[in-house]
Amino acid sequence: MKRANAISGIFLCVFSIVMLGMVIPTQINAGPSGMMSPRLVPNMMMIGILLLSLPLVIRGLRKTPEYDAQDTASPISRAEMLALLRISGVFAASIALYELFGALVGASSLVILALLVLGERRPLVIVALTVVLLTGLWALFYKVLGTAIL
Amino acid sequence: MKCLERRSILGLAASVALAAAGLLPGIATAQDYPTKPVTMLVGYGAGGQTDLVARGAARVLGTQLGQPVNVVNKPGAGGAVAARELTQAAPDGYTILFHSNAVVNAAPFIMDQVNFTPDDFEYGGMITAYQTGLVAHIDAPFDTLTGFIDWAKENPNFAYAALSSEARMYMDTLADANGLEPNAVPVQSGGEMLNALLGKQVVVAFSGGIHYRHPDELKTISATTTFRHPSAPDVLSIEEDGYPIGMDTRTTLFLPKGTPRDVLERISDALSVAADDPDFKKVTDGANIPIMYMNLDEASEEMRSTYEKNKGILTDGS
Amino acid sequence: MEHLILGVGDVFGGTTLLWVAVGVSLGYVLGAIPGLGKAIGVAVSIPLTFYLEPVSALGMLIGIAKGSAAGSAVSAILLNTPGEPSSAPTAFDGYPLARQGKGQKALKMALFASVTGDFVSTIILILLAAPLARYALLIGPVELCAILVFSLVFIGGLSGNSLTKGLIAACFGIFFATVGLETETFVARLTFGYLELEDGISLVPMAIGMLAVAEMVVQAGNLNTLDRETANLRDSSDPRDRTVTQDELRRCAPVIARGTVIGTAVGILPGLGASVGSFLSYGETRRVSATPAKYGTGMIEGVAAAESADNAVVPSSLIPLFALGIPGSVIAAILIAAFILHGLTPGPLMFQQQPRMVAGLYVSMLCASAILLVIGLLGQRLFSQIVHVPLRLVIPGVLLFCCVGSFMETGSVFSIYIMLGFALLGFLARKLDFSFVTFLIGFVIGPKLELSFRQSLQLLNHDASNLLAHPIALLFLFAALVFVVLSGRATARRSGQTPPTTQENCNPKGGNQP
Repeated sequence: MKRANAISGIFLCVFSIVMLGMVIPTQINAGPSGMMSPRLVPNMMMIGILLLSLPLVIRGLRKTPEYDAQDTASPISRAEMLALLRISGVFAASIALYELFGALVGASSLVILALLVLGERRPLVIVALTVVLLTGLWALFYKVLGTAIL
Repeated sequence: MKCLERRSILGLAASVALAAAGLLPGIATAQDYPTKPVTMLVGYGAGGQTDLVARGAARVLGTQLGQPVNVVNKPGAGGAVAARELTQAAPDGYTILFHSNAVVNAAPFIMDQVNFTPDDFEYGGMITAYQTGLVAHIDAPFDTLTGFIDWAKENPNFAYAALSSEARMYMDTLADANGLEPNAVPVQSGGEMLNALLGKQVVVAFSGGIHYRHPDELKTISATTTFRHPSAPDVLSIEEDGYPIGMDTRTTLFLPKGTPRDVLERISDALSVAADDPDFKKVTDGANIPIMYMNLDEASEEMRSTYEKNKGILTDGS
Repeated sequence: MEHLILGVGDVFGGTTLLWVAVGVSLGYVLGAIPGLGKAIGVAVSIPLTFYLEPVSALGMLIGIAKGSAAGSAVSAILLNTPGEPSSAPTAFDGYPLARQGKGQKALKMALFASVTGDFVSTIILILLAAPLARYALLIGPVELCAILVFSLVFIGGLSGNSLTKGLIAACFGIFFATVGLETETFVARLTFGYLELEDGISLVPMAIGMLAVAEMVVQAGNLNTLDRETANLRDSSDPRDRTVTQDELRRCAPVIARGTVIGTAVGILPGLGASVGSFLSYGETRRVSATPAKYGTGMIEGVAAAESADNAVVPSSLIPLFALGIPGSVIAAILIAAFILHGLTPGPLMFQQQPRMVAGLYVSMLCASAILLVIGLLGQRLFSQIVHVPLRLVIPGVLLFCCVGSFMETGSVFSIYIMLGFALLGFLARKLDFSFVTFLIGFVIGPKLELSFRQSLQLLNHDASNLLAHPIALLFLFAALVFVVLSGRATARRSGQTPPTTQENCNPKGGNQP
């Protein structure tokens, strides 16, 4: 956790410096005089993050006498990282299919692909769950509630 | 996002209007318009006053056109998000926008990222007007604009609630002409504005007409429109008091540029029925919204003249 | 009084009761499905109100609001995916309970707390609407700003293990809240040219991404462990774990009472909202508890505290609407439309013009509380079965509902991108131990805090000595200061190695890792 703290602390420092120095001045106008500047609150928050992340970095990098294996272990396990990548992939594919072929294809691909990456392999279960979920949503919105959701 | 029904696919084509627009069959001829449901965009969220009038109008339009008119709320940037979406829709009369005309005749002068002109749209008519005005608590020691100005000269640094930058423009014009020193308190909604007035946090406020719900506690000082308010016929308009800065906003039916003339006429005629419809009147009366119907040509003329006028006021005033 | 009797007759004689029940059930089911919730209930309810009788329509709308507030506890407890930020504190202790096989117990306690908070708050609305609303008018921007500062300081104490990280998360929350058009100057902030961002980052897709999608990704990463636990759950279900015991009821009674009072008070104030109510209640319960360190590991009191306040906010947020005609919440704004649609002007005149209808409305609101109890008891038996379903079958459905819920907010794919962006942020925050809950609270009250600060500057004419004319504001600022000093001392005493921190992050519980 300590190493992770140091890394995220360094990232936060860089992020807030970039925000303060480049993004906020270009993305927020100074605003008319006589009113509180629109930049004030975003700047305050970024300064706060900069100041608060410094101790994270310092404490993270400082060597402690009792060296602990936990210090360097990644807080994100391999399996979690894989799950993140897989689910991101599922969303990317589903959104692409939605833009190309419409809502029905996009939605079914979301369910089917998510089931596949989570390890479900029984074709019957995959088809049944997809049909049940989509019909359920359709019935809920168009039949029960009488509202178009698209 | 996931439905089997045909209208969902149609709705998608209308709303996203990307590749899907090309897949639609040839645009239906104007004579038999409409042959399928019409999507009515509204640029404010569900439950607001504009939304309310839109739904009332949609019901009348639906009966008149013989096809359902489905209201879809697309809030964002004071209606600019919905208006931009309309410009990308097919000009066939199946996607229309019901919104305040301020999105075209005022927003471009206030928001950098909005640059609509009256020529970007066609108009199917206007139906109601907003009773915008300068409002004070009933206990305030003045009843007219002149009275307010005299009072304000004696009381520098008084606080007023400003819901929009038009409100600031009005107060700045009055302040420059009379040497007043107002403190603008920004508010975010009509409800917040009422709260500040009723709680006497501020002395005056600029209201979009919502204050007429409190006839016993609030009074109108000046109508900031070119006409006197039907709900307060004795209160002078700001123009009658000698400031030529009245700006009128009306709920307007927008259509994409290039919509055939007969489709526009069909919609304009249907909207004229709403002006006399008892159910529609019940809705607008409940909210103190006056009906001021204008047909397509009057609407288009109103749009152009107010655009030019507001351009002068808003780009010079602030 | 005669109007009340007529009102009772109207409600029980006609179809009103049916529509109230429909509203409560609908709200409960929508609330219980992760990703769906009040926002959807709102979207669908408007067209319906055109066709119903006024009292039926209004009763149904209020039913949806009450039902979804209670229903959102279900997904918070069973799946750790609170539907709305206001249910996030319910998940703190509810989800650990569910993983211990005590899901039904937590659900029942959540329901009892919800119904009690709801019922009492409704009674307060009926009896005290007018005087309370007048009193709420005294709370102007200056007072509100002070109350928000106090709430932020207090809730900041809820952050996880590291105070520094909790504060960073809060700063981020407020920072993201500044995106969009600034209210006073109309300057676009950090929109990068996207018109969709002019109104700011929308809370619904953001909360769905942060709370539900991110949690699903984490659970997908731990699929095997969680599924093994799920398989064992069946065997270890002791009947006492499925009900609320007498002893627990006795322990939770004062907690629920406190939650109800906090929720009702927060509801009356403009712009605070349900999340502030439930977090304040949870925080206060933990603060006064003898064993604050146990919170977060499955304390039934935590569930009771959060849910009672969450539901008490709903009726009391209608007080400004009924007494003054000013909407205090989203549901109240929708109700105004429904009132006007039926030719009524909400506000003080309503009681003189339409006493019979107001009475009918009150009766149907009380009925909604009772119906909520029945629907909840039936519904949770059904919903609690979800813990026995393997997660790989649950996650795809939840992801689908999350997309629908986000999409419906604005009707554009842009919302889904927002949802996904914050899901990633939520995932990293969870794993790196930055409190995503503090982030959400910062985000929720950030705009109000900035706006009321701007308003205060103008109202006080940029002169701090004018604060003397605002005793309520002074009181809250003083309370915030006392809280900071006391907790700072407590922290300093407790741990020698706790790093030096800036003043307002010191909280007795925050640094309290034994």
